[in-house]
Amino acid sequence: MTFSSSYLLSITTFIYLGAAALYLIHWVFRVEKVGFIASIITAAGLACQTVGIGLRWVESYQLGYGHAPLSNLYESLVFFAWVTVLVYLIIEWKTKKRVIGAFATPFATLAMAYASFSPEVQDKIQPLIPALQSNWLIAHVITCFLGYASFAVACGMGVMYLMRGGDDSDPGTGLRNSLPSHKVLDDLMHQTIVFGFLWLSVGIITGAVWANQAWGTYWSWDPKETWSLITWFVYATALHARFVRGWQGKRIAFLSIIGFVSVIFTYFGVNFLLSGLHSYGSS
Amino acid sequence: MKKKKSSSGRNPLWKFFTSVRLAIFLLIILAVTSIIGTVIPQGETLQVYLNNYGPAVFKAIKLLDLGDTYHSWWYLTLLGLFSLNLICCTLNRLPFTLKLFKRDYIDITPDYLRRVTNRYEWQINSPADSSLIQQILKKFRASAGSLREKKLDDGSVIYMAESGKWSYWGLYGLHLSILIIFAGAVYGSLTGFKGRIMLMEGESTDYAIKSSPNSEKIEKIPLGFSIRCDRFFVDFYDTGAPKEFRSDLTIIDGDKEVVKKSILVNDPLTYKGVTFYQSSYQSIPEVSVRVTTAEGASRTLVIPAFQRVSWPEAGLTLGLMKFLPNVHGVPAARIWIGDVTGRADALWLFRGSSKNITAAGKPYRAEMLDAAERYMTGLQVKKDPGVWIVWLGCTGLIAGFAIVFWVAHRRQWLYVGSGDKGTTLLLSGQSNKNKLQFEKDFNEIKSAIDNVIGEGK
Repeated sequence: MTFSSSYLLSITTFIYLGAAALYLIHWVFRVEKVGFIASIITAAGLACQTVGIGLRWVESYQLGYGHAPLSNLYESLVFFAWVTVLVYLIIEWKTKKRVIGAFATPFATLAMAYASFSPEVQDKIQPLIPALQSNWLIAHVITCFLGYASFAVACGMGVMYLMRGGDDSDPGTGLRNSLPSHKVLDDLMHQTIVFGFLWLSVGIITGAVWANQAWGTYWSWDPKETWSLITWFVYATALHARFVRGWQGKRIAFLSIIGFVSVIFTYFGVNFLLSGLHSYGSS
Repeated sequence: MKKKKSSSGRNPLWKFFTSVRLAIFLLIILAVTSIIGTVIPQGETLQVYLNNYGPAVFKAIKLLDLGDTYHSWWYLTLLGLFSLNLICCTLNRLPFTLKLFKRDYIDITPDYLRRVTNRYEWQINSPADSSLIQQILKKFRASAGSLREKKLDDGSVIYMAESGKWSYWGLYGLHLSILIIFAGAVYGSLTGFKGRIMLMEGESTDYAIKSSPNSEKIEKIPLGFSIRCDRFFVDFYDTGAPKEFRSDLTIIDGDKEVVKKSILVNDPLTYKGVTFYQSSYQSIPEVSVRVTTAEGASRTLVIPAFQRVSWPEAGLTLGLMKFLPNVHGVPAARIWIGDVTGRADALWLFRGSSKNITAAGKPYRAEMLDAAERYMTGLQVKKDPGVWIVWLGCTGLIAGFAIVFWVAHRRQWLYVGSGDKGTTLLLSGQSNKNKLQFEKDFNEIKSAIDNVIGEGK
């Protein structure tokens, strides 16, 4: 069967790669039309991926397992890419700033490429082990990844902020000056972090509720839990520093990048380097 | 009353604990030190740390209690400081918030309204026509909500619509929620317990074994009722991965079977505040051995693991030392045989085969008739009366967060001033959050009023 979920998801990888390249071209050569095409292609990729994820769900029922495609590393990477693109497209639609695409879509492309091509990541549909057989799985994964994806986009904005040259009044002709102004980036980055922080909090809480139901402890200081809390501390720092101490711009941009490094470690580092209750994620 | 002009004159300790600088410092320190417990395996015995890390690092691990980082004295101190800082910052901010909250924003002057971020002014070169004003107010009300009015001395009127003033309290709800979560965790750990139970099928118990890391001491926790495991099931997928662990449990309270439930990993059983979770299992072999004397008398003994079974008339006691489920297609068991003299012997038996033995000077024949596997279920037992406090805190945290970031305090004013030359209309508006959306709404009102004035001309 060629029209399978893995076929569609492989195509998605290439669509996102193409979209990321077009967004880059749009930024570097400042061709408005290319940016428009990039948006169309990204949306098409999202549609293709949505069908792919839906098909995978159906296929899991055909195999007799029947569970949402959110249960192992492959499926979580695919979902991460999906949410990242979704969050980005919403931001693009609201702000009309396509340059951000050059810094957001690469995260989705990388996640899809890693999921599709790494020998460490198995793309087979696996049955759910007893610990994962819960409706909290869907709530927990969706909320966590809404957070992760927002932080990925915020990290992209942090990088843009640090790259943006000159002062805001300078319309500029250089590459660095064609990025949105510091003021706009700072504001967008903050809003994206706020959005991600809310979902990370909900994600941690749904995880706690689930753990309490499965194991009888809502918090057991397992490395994944602890790292999610570390990530939470980093972004809480960013929010408080901005609110009360008036930190802006560069410092928040750095915190946004550090925060995403912490997200990456929570996501992968814990699975590959540390052991704990979430280690099934590495299979 | 003491003078409260500035906080700089106050107690330096108070100043220290009310500083947001301390809050940011603590957040960063907590983030960094939390890493330790994810790198060093937690809950091992001291010997393991000594072997793995060497004497120098071991000293630090022991001193800083890094084998149980998150319950160590210094980590709990950090959390305590964090809570104290949170309380002090909140209290310190309270007067400021109260002032914001109590202030009546209708007590302003037209000049103030001319300095507000969003504003628009109309001059109508005729005295105020009350039906026109009513029409304008109708539009204003339709978009901004219910209005209050205030007459000024010169006969002009200020109308005001306000919403979301209460959102100033969201911040307090948010921070209080964090303290509520801490309180719930502390209350739960003081009044509840965590333990485990291992039960063979058919077995029952009225106590759990307390779970305590770093300690080999066994402590029993009485349940106040009995729990019995009627059956345990384990099921696997074709891939070999586990599909289901299930224990059929019965609660016996006062000699009566009060509850029967099959528990799964994500579906525990709760009785009188104590919850039983499916957490592990073991398969326990059970071997039946027929022993025959030289005279031809025989007895079949069923020997479960960890137990000894006697045949008192013959003076024999048998035990199961080792069990191999598959040796060349048949199960094998190493059987321990003791006699009245206190001497003991051990022999390997295979299912269906027999061996001659000597005990207390007499010959016997031993034959393994059958071997079966019985299951032992592992239950996690928990009582945590604080868990609902924690969930309350979590709900408050999310609600507070949403209020802090998305509920805005919006104020919109319409000043109607009548002078000799005509009527002045001044529309002003301010929002402390989500200013873009507010601007849109403001412009909508503006154009609605524009239309009314245009028609009136």
